[in-house]
Amino acid sequence: MRPIKLMGHERSLTQVKYNREGDLLFSVAKDNAASIWYSSNGERLGTLEGHQGVIWSIDVDPESFLCATGGGDLAVKLWKVETGECVFTWDSPSPVRRVSFSPDGKKLLAIADQVMGHIGTIIVYDLNLDDLSNQSIEPSLIIRTDPNSAKANVAEWTADGKYIIAGLDNGYISKYDSVTAELVDSVQAHGIHNEEKIHSITDIQLSPEDGSYFITSSKDKCATLIDVETFKILKVYIADAPMNTAAITPVKDFVILGGGQEARNVTTTAESQGKFEARFYHKIFEEEIGRVKGHFGPLNTIAVHPDGLGYSSGGEDGFIRVHTFDKSYFDFLFDAERTEKAAASGTI
Amino acid sequence: MSSAVIGSWADANDEFSAPDITTNPDGTKTVITFRTNQDGKRVKVTQRIREIKVQERVHPLIAQRKNWHKYGKERNSAPGPDTSTTQLGEKVELKLGLSWKQVEKEEEETKAQNRSDNIVIQKITCRFCGGDHYTAKCPYKETLGGTASADTAAAESAAAEANGTGKYVPRHMRAGAEGILSKEARDDAMTLKVSQLNSFVDEDMLRDELFARFGPLQRVTVVRNRETGDSRGLAYVSFYSEEAAEKALNALNGKGYHSLILHLEWSKKKKT
Repeated sequence: MRPIKLMGHERSLTQVKYNREGDLLFSVAKDNAASIWYSSNGERLGTLEGHQGVIWSIDVDPESFLCATGGGDLAVKLWKVETGECVFTWDSPSPVRRVSFSPDGKKLLAIADQVMGHIGTIIVYDLNLDDLSNQSIEPSLIIRTDPNSAKANVAEWTADGKYIIAGLDNGYISKYDSVTAELVDSVQAHGIHNEEKIHSITDIQLSPEDGSYFITSSKDKCATLIDVETFKILKVYIADAPMNTAAITPVKDFVILGGGQEARNVTTTAESQGKFEARFYHKIFEEEIGRVKGHFGPLNTIAVHPDGLGYSSGGEDGFIRVHTFDKSYFDFLFDAERTEKAAASGTI
Repeated sequence: MSSAVIGSWADANDEFSAPDITTNPDGTKTVITFRTNQDGKRVKVTQRIREIKVQERVHPLIAQRKNWHKYGKERNSAPGPDTSTTQLGEKVELKLGLSWKQVEKEEEETKAQNRSDNIVIQKITCRFCGGDHYTAKCPYKETLGGTASADTAAAESAAAEANGTGKYVPRHMRAGAEGILSKEARDDAMTLKVSQLNSFVDEDMLRDELFARFGPLQRVTVVRNRETGDSRGLAYVSFYSEEAAEKALNALNGKGYHSLILHLEWSKKKKT
């Protein structure tokens, strides 16, 4: 496959995201403008300008009408996707690490980082969709990620919008009620599979089909698959470098992991040893089945096209690479899958 | 078909007429145009074109979004991808399978093999007879030596004539010289600095006894005292690949050699 290289950002990427139909790709980096691209040909629709510094996170609502960004300049901004105008800005007490729209697009969560004397919180805003420029400054919900006194790095809504799943700095995953802010469930997902000392969680992505399970990635060189309802660890994928991101592919039963050596250590090794590749694992058999090279820095973020046609990765090197899968990708079957398929067709 | 129709007055001065389009019975079109090629000759270009309508079904929202106006930094850009931000990358392989590691390793090995095959191994050639020994040790020195030295003398006088004046001209500035070996041409990334060598160790010993087994070598230089010619216990060894250099570094650093313990390091601090 020949990836499209998007070079609109001047600094390392922090998040890439597709909209629901997969025709638009949203990207944010450590420079102060977010970009929106047509995923089919890599054409840039426009940039969202207004942040004063690092933008850590971007999300788009299900209708691709609004998008939200959160950055290190203590701001959460709401934008119109069509025109690129900023319609509202919330002030945050500390840098915003993650923003996410609820599945119905009526709420927005933001994680305020635990720095500058602020205790890390997940803040939920109710959106006023009738008058966009008149949003309530007061959050409708504040979740203090307290129990183990670790901060939340990432958070995501469950598919029904009832819960908020947060990935904490100490390797725990917590499930909070999105109405009462009550801690419903908690599980240590990372730091138990190996001896790694740092096991902060770097990414959470829900399964694309029904959102009944999700994948987490962590600095402890692992990724895990966890069921939303039972909150049990279903699968563990073990890699050989700290992982920054993980995604689940629709159509095929794969997961894609991205990461690599810590950015600050990159200068001390050659490109081939940095492990800057996207790794493909079989979702069910937990086996690594392939790698895609291309970046010359660690991968910070991966997003899979909602139709499973391809994926995009953003790296510390400042580039986004948009991949479209070849036919061989869709044809690939595990031995066990192949025999099963043959048996099924034989009996019919 | 009519061919003399002028599309616009801007085209009126065109040397060539408008394309001649004929519709064929099988639904194709034949377009005949004339143009001037690189050599300034008139060329007749005949193209047969079949028009096919491709219908693509897209989500209505996607179709709608396709027509949005650009904004931000792209406000004034033309439709279509801008090559300054969007480029087609190099082809990458995704080989799915449990044995992907082996497949990749094999590929790496064949690549490395090809690379070392391409390196021409430097051979010693005798200036007199062309054999693979040093000129000084040529068995035909007595018989062939005279003519060869006459040749070099002639060449030198010719060079002097070419320079005109009898003034000394440094070698690199003489006619036909390739210029100073630029420092950039050397690749220090693949060079190892070997210190704590015994004083009698020379280039050939380093080459044959120590480094040859790690891969082909570019250069081996022992640093010597300018007056006495004694080794200063320091040498630079350049490989053709960084991997080989690294292998040598890991294998030999701290090992004993002629009653001293070798110390190897990269000749230059790595930047990338």
